[in-house]
Amino acid sequence: MGLSLALLVALFLLLPIAIVVPMSFSTAISFEFPPPGYSLGYYAKYFTSEEWLHPTLNSFVIALGATALTMLLVVPAAFGYVRYRFRGKAFVNLLMMAPLIVPHVVSAVAYYGFLGRVRLTGTLLGVIVAHGVLAVPVAFLVITATLKGFDRNLERAAMSSGAGPLRTFFHVTLPVLRPGMLVGALFAFLSSFNEAVVVIFIGGREASTLPKKMYESIRLESDPVIAVVSTLLVSAVVLGVLLSTFMRRRPANAT
Amino acid sequence: MAGGLSPAATPGAELGVRNARRGQRAAWLLLGPPSLVLTLLFMVPIALMLVTSVTDPRLSLAHYQRIFTVPLYTHVMLNTFVTSLIVTALCLVLGYPVAYVMTRRTDWVSTLLLTIVAMSFWTGFLVRTYAWLVVLGSKGPVIAAYHALGLGGSPPKLLFTSFASTLGMTHILLPYMILALFAVMKKIEPDHLKAAASLGARPRAAFREVFLPLSLPGVVNGSLLVFVICLGFFVTPILLGTPRDMMISQLINQQIEELLAWGFASAVAVVLLVATGIILAVYNRFAGLDRLWG
Repeated sequence: MGLSLALLVALFLLLPIAIVVPMSFSTAISFEFPPPGYSLGYYAKYFTSEEWLHPTLNSFVIALGATALTMLLVVPAAFGYVRYRFRGKAFVNLLMMAPLIVPHVVSAVAYYGFLGRVRLTGTLLGVIVAHGVLAVPVAFLVITATLKGFDRNLERAAMSSGAGPLRTFFHVTLPVLRPGMLVGALFAFLSSFNEAVVVIFIGGREASTLPKKMYESIRLESDPVIAVVSTLLVSAVVLGVLLSTFMRRRPANAT
Repeated sequence: MAGGLSPAATPGAELGVRNARRGQRAAWLLLGPPSLVLTLLFMVPIALMLVTSVTDPRLSLAHYQRIFTVPLYTHVMLNTFVTSLIVTALCLVLGYPVAYVMTRRTDWVSTLLLTIVAMSFWTGFLVRTYAWLVVLGSKGPVIAAYHALGLGGSPPKLLFTSFASTLGMTHILLPYMILALFAVMKKIEPDHLKAAASLGARPRAAFREVFLPLSLPGVVNGSLLVFVICLGFFVTPILLGTPRDMMISQLINQQIEELLAWGFASAVAVVLLVATGIILAVYNRFAGLDRLWG
């Protein structure tokens, strides 16, 4: 009984997401399921519409910029946090986790006021700053976890064999930590790419991203191109998850 | 060579003190700049919002007084709280069996479930909200099925109701619940259950007396996570729900978008922040916040 219940819930998770795929090939001018006919019309529209391509490009630019900012903040902080004992450690942890603790809609209101004052609302830089900060907690969690699992005897061995601190860092520490760092960066990227609340408040027209454009397209016009975007996003997720499942099942390839 | 070996490899009280001091300096060199940036780019905006809530349009606590006395707004607070409770309960009821099967099976079923949960987890809120818009829409499959079954009269209104909003949020937050439960359940030793069985416990009793109590930390973590996210949920209630039964974030959105009422919107945001803070502080007191994200 437990098994069938679990499979039913899995279907509940899966089916509504799967519905976006046939919707994207539809000929209907509104949200109609099952579709009255099939065509590639909305794909053509997506790939030629500035209105959709601009936010798509923005999404990538912002997510990359935010990831860079996040890593710049998190990597030194994680080293300091894991490797040293110091007063105020609990406070630093709280500061790093704060963007996760504060609900995004609250951060959105706060950033709208703040970025308005420094005239950065509606700019790529403004969204990059907000997203870079908001992704700090998730990257901090991943990278501190990686650092805690790092065997410092590797560094001691390198140093005792005559390597200086910098050489040790770049030739021993960093290569060993690279997978963890990459996961942290990937999570930061996805956190920005999927973020839909703060950007709705501060993105404006110029710095609109895909989630913001989707939100507006649902609210204002019910544009079926959203089905195409959703299908592309779902395909990317499916590919990513299958790839990671496949890789995890072959532990021999861990390095 | 000796220089390279020195501090870590030669312990000593004096060196320990010097190390500790050097450690403090190194720690602040590494942590200082990121902490400063986070303070400037996160804490300051939050503080400014706090100031706005008591100064816009003039210095007073009137916004807060309105939030807690005007029935329209107390209704929003209550509705947010109740809806979050319902979504949390639904996620728990639906999520527990999935996490249980994922833990207890070791074959392809477990991999399949984990894959589906992960896919759902990583699919953006907007995609999943849009999906529900299609499913529950007036030209969607549910209404079509209603007509096909020949149930007379006009079909029920599904979209833009609290029902749609609750269903959508449950669907979106379910993977969080399942992953939180799974994280705790997979650490439960299967031997405990075998021991219970060998002592004569039937499977049902073994589950109730052994597995269920050991899984409770996961239940607490998952419920707290879902509840807290739900309190501030933005996109889904706005797109699937109704302004008649607003949640807090809908109120914030309305105040800013339609009324440009900055001070009041900020005050509502502060109330949401404080409520979330209290809940997490209580959890931190009993369990330690770090465990929630682990």
